[in-house]
Amino acid sequence: MTSLSLKRLAVIALPMAALAGMMTSAQAQEWTPSKSIEFVAPANPGGGWDTLVRTMSRVIQQEGLADKNFAAINVPGGGGAVAWAQIARDSGNPHKLFATSPPMILVPLAGASRYDHTDFTPVARINTDYSIILVAADSEYQDLNDLFAALKENPRLSVGGGSAPGSMDHISVAGLASAAGLDASSVNYIPFSGGGDAMTNLMGGHIEAVITGAGESVGQLGEGSQLRALGVSAEERLGGALADVPTYQEQGIDYTFDIWRGVMGAPDMPEEAVTYYEDLFAEMLETDAWRQASDQLGWIDAYQNSEEFGAFLDEQQEQFSSVLSDLGLLRQ
Amino acid sequence: MDALNNLMYGFGIALEPINIAYVFAGVFAGTIIGMLPGLGPISALALMIPITFAMEPSSGLILMAGVYYGAIFGGSTSSILLNAPGVAGTVATSFDGYPMAKKGLAGKALAIAAYSSFVGGTVSVIFLMLVAPLLSKVAVSFGPAEYFALMVLGLTAVVSLSDKSLVKGLIAAVVGVMISIVGIDMQTGTERFTFGSAQLLDGIDFLVVALGIFALAEVFYMLLRGGGGKETPRNAIGSLKLTRSEVKEIAGPVSRSSVLGFFTGVLPGAGATIGSFLGYSMEKRIAKDGNTFGQGNIKGVAAPEAANNAACTGSFVPLLTLGVPGSGTTAVLLGALLVMGVTPGPMMLEQRPDVFWGVVASMYIGNIFLLVLNLPLIPLIAKILDLPKPLLLSLILIFCMIGVYGMSFSVFDLLLLLGFGLLGLGMRLFGFPAAPLILALILGNIMEESMRRALQISGGDWMTFIDKPISLSLLLIALLSLGLPLLKKRRKRAIAE
Repeated sequence: MTSLSLKRLAVIALPMAALAGMMTSAQAQEWTPSKSIEFVAPANPGGGWDTLVRTMSRVIQQEGLADKNFAAINVPGGGGAVAWAQIARDSGNPHKLFATSPPMILVPLAGASRYDHTDFTPVARINTDYSIILVAADSEYQDLNDLFAALKENPRLSVGGGSAPGSMDHISVAGLASAAGLDASSVNYIPFSGGGDAMTNLMGGHIEAVITGAGESVGQLGEGSQLRALGVSAEERLGGALADVPTYQEQGIDYTFDIWRGVMGAPDMPEEAVTYYEDLFAEMLETDAWRQASDQLGWIDAYQNSEEFGAFLDEQQEQFSSVLSDLGLLRQ
Repeated sequence: MDALNNLMYGFGIALEPINIAYVFAGVFAGTIIGMLPGLGPISALALMIPITFAMEPSSGLILMAGVYYGAIFGGSTSSILLNAPGVAGTVATSFDGYPMAKKGLAGKALAIAAYSSFVGGTVSVIFLMLVAPLLSKVAVSFGPAEYFALMVLGLTAVVSLSDKSLVKGLIAAVVGVMISIVGIDMQTGTERFTFGSAQLLDGIDFLVVALGIFALAEVFYMLLRGGGGKETPRNAIGSLKLTRSEVKEIAGPVSRSSVLGFFTGVLPGAGATIGSFLGYSMEKRIAKDGNTFGQGNIKGVAAPEAANNAACTGSFVPLLTLGVPGSGTTAVLLGALLVMGVTPGPMMLEQRPDVFWGVVASMYIGNIFLLVLNLPLIPLIAKILDLPKPLLLSLILIFCMIGVYGMSFSVFDLLLLLGFGLLGLGMRLFGFPAAPLILALILGNIMEESMRRALQISGGDWMTFIDKPISLSLLLIALLSLGLPLLKKRRKRAIAE
């Protein structure tokens, strides 16, 4: 249902963008896009990738940062695999970008995609969110160590998360458990259809704890809340509503987990184009509109350029594959 | 009195000229979107996020909510006229709506749908206003075990409707569950019944099956009967007017289904589909003329339409009071609100009363707009039935294909559509009911996931479904709804002997 209208939007946007392009003539020499940029969210509207794509497109347009329009396109399916397969065929296309995050590493490791991050061009890391561990407000667990002591005693205690086994939330909590001295595979991880779903089940007392994105949990915490946060996976405490939540490290568990978000492009994207986008996104991060949107969405800027981002992705792949193999979920 | 004061405050916001314009624009766009299958409210709302960004949050939500309930309001049209339900919530409407249209009562069916939608929408706004904060407790009381029991109840209620043969109803339901299994398993990431095809990885979409098994099968069936079928009579629309006795007849079903629909809507994930099916089967059970359901009974149109609109309003309860989206559509609304700087959740009523009460008040206005907007449109839209039969059949065919292709841009899905059309034809010829299949397809996934989650939490102990009071009572009702028809039959036989 979704892709129809979004593609239509792109069709309408194209001539308009072309018009704008003619009026602000491109600077000489440097590469600039010659047509509207297809910015793919490899998922349905409403999720993390979609929000990133739409927010970036909006800020770039509002602030007049690019001559050409960024057209948001949703290509849902296979946890991203459908979109990746499409983009992989578009080698060298400088007008095709997509939003990415840990599933780019995890889905291929689980054997569910023929393409992995090395098949695409890293453009830039944009920002990051962190994992957060929540319990019900009236729970007996006061800190992470209480919770893990209980888990050690009774491994059947259920920890809910918003994604499938072997994906982000599961890896994050399994890694935490193993840092806390438990067997990673002993966590009784219950996958829900989203962080919100998991949190509702926690409020209803159906599960013991929840792991989800810190940004997603902001609306649920604070005065009068039915939930309580035990820890975040960041290196330092987060700001705003989460300022009171201690990090894992503060509680003696040496473990951090980034839910990074970034942008990648079609395979073998020309270097000039990569440079153009790197600069564009760096500039975008400096705008007030971006600042404001990030604050609302609980995002924390974590820019890396193409080269740094590429190296970072390789590291992540190593780290994740070791957790996945502990869980017995590695299929390669 | 508190609620009244708050409502007055809300009307103060909703009645600002600009907001009235937004309500109108929203419900108008929503009605149109609802009439076309394949262009659901989700994509429409996602497209609107950039437009609403610069708006006052209350105005933005008023506009987007209008599109959402407008689409549900308009969704009955294709179900009634073409037997082609575009959204899951309107499948039940086609059971009696389409037979009415075939009898030359299309105008009346559409009018009943409009009135029932209006009442369902309005009654549920009153509930939303009075009990929303309390209801958030109900929403969280449903864990995996309870959801599983609710899905079982929904399925058995529909299976038990197939009065001709319970066994055929059960077979259809099992086939529906089997179709729902196709694709990647959420719990383990395993591919199931995809036969290595990438197109089947995400499962088979509801729309493909619904349009195939209802609309396309109907086209095939008419073709098969060939010239034998009567030419559609001229002036097939009929009168829009309801007689006093008809109004009296639907008053009960509409009010019961409005309440039922609202409460199912409150449960994240269950919503309009379960509400409309339960409303329909409940009315069939209660009605004295229950055996004429499925042949164009006006109560069979009124009940599901009231229920699905009420459920749509109900789905705002978890969104606004818990900050948890209960459906794909409300997930997009949540995203839009976040972008506008409002965080829905337990604190929202205190922090942003303007958004909450403004939207609630705007829903009253929006429902009135919808009624006023839809009634004059009915004769125009229903004219489609005046077309000569060959044209009408080709139109339905094209309509289905555009709906399916527009959703996925996949030729494979068109072939699937054709396949399900043939399956639907076969089921009709051999007397298998289509409703259990489609409902099982919609509910199958939630049912399976809830069951496995519940078992994972309980450590594999099946008693978890019986230990929980809500789950136990739902399962008992399900057992009753399957058992009663059997008992009745046995008693009849005993009396005959």
